[in-house]
Amino acid sequence: MKKLLTVIFIAAVSLIHAQNLKLIVNNYSTTFDFHGTLSAHNFGGGCYPYVTTNSPAMVVVPANANMNNGNELVYANFKDQYVNSLYPNASWMVQLSAATSIVRAWNHASIAPGGVISANTKWSSSQFQMYYAGTSTPEPSFSGLIGEPQDPCTGAISNISTPYGDVEWFNITTGNVDYSYLQIY
Amino acid sequence: MKKTILLAAFAILGLVSCTNEGTAVNTVSSMKTPQMENFDKAFKSLGEPQNRPTEEERKRNTSELSDRRKALLVPASKELILSTGVTESELMRKTGGDMSQIIVWATQIYMKKSEDIRNNIKAEN
Repeated sequence: MKKLLTVIFIAAVSLIHAQNLKLIVNNYSTTFDFHGTLSAHNFGGGCYPYVTTNSPAMVVVPANANMNNGNELVYANFKDQYVNSLYPNASWMVQLSAATSIVRAWNHASIAPGGVISANTKWSSSQFQMYYAGTSTPEPSFSGLIGEPQDPCTGAISNISTPYGDVEWFNITTGNVDYSYLQIY
Repeated sequence: MKKTILLAAFAILGLVSCTNEGTAVNTVSSMKTPQMENFDKAFKSLGEPQNRPTEEERKRNTSELSDRRKALLVPASKELILSTGVTESELMRKTGGDMSQIIVWATQIYMKKSEDIRNNIKAEN
């Protein structure tokens, strides 16, 4: 009984804190395709749950795919992205602790919006590598780990400048809305 | 004979209309309103050299877009909100002039409009 109450309590708290989160990737580079993981994790103490794109692990946002032509990547949550996004990710790698990771299909109940995993994670980072547009040729010095700065769970930085282009991560937040932007110029 | 000619005429009409179909290919970018275009341009402008984060902005502990750079997005955001029929005073009342709230509201309008355009294109094809 006590357990049940605890679960209900946690679920209720999660729902109250349910935020309107979005991840938006704008690739303004006309020379390079973006290949990168997209991760979200818990920012409320500890790093878990820690959720990362799994199929494909590296999501590809082609050169010049951005809001200007309606080809930007938008992920509202782990589930709806599969239906609504131009760059669907069919499954997620879900880490519940350093030792436990499970692959969950996009429509698995445990990662649905409003669930505990979804309610306790926020978009955090991307490990990326830029490729010459339409090729499998990477530009080794145009790569990195971009994301929320000062995040001990990832170690990402929010600005990367290279001779080939720049990448930045920023947020625009209000009370219950948090939009994370990854922009490549 | 008359029937055949009529049939041929309709067939040609049909073919012509199909050809025209190709020239009127609608894309998300061609169907966007001028306000949506300006909103896009504002986001892209964040990458221009003078609009890139300064050393000081990079050293901050937060990834929240700086006020200086948010201000670059506000005019186009306001324009987009007002284009939906919202009045200036309503805009101020709902957002209190808060830059983040204005940008987030405009982003929501933008995404809804893009989705509508995409659905329209799907329905037409």
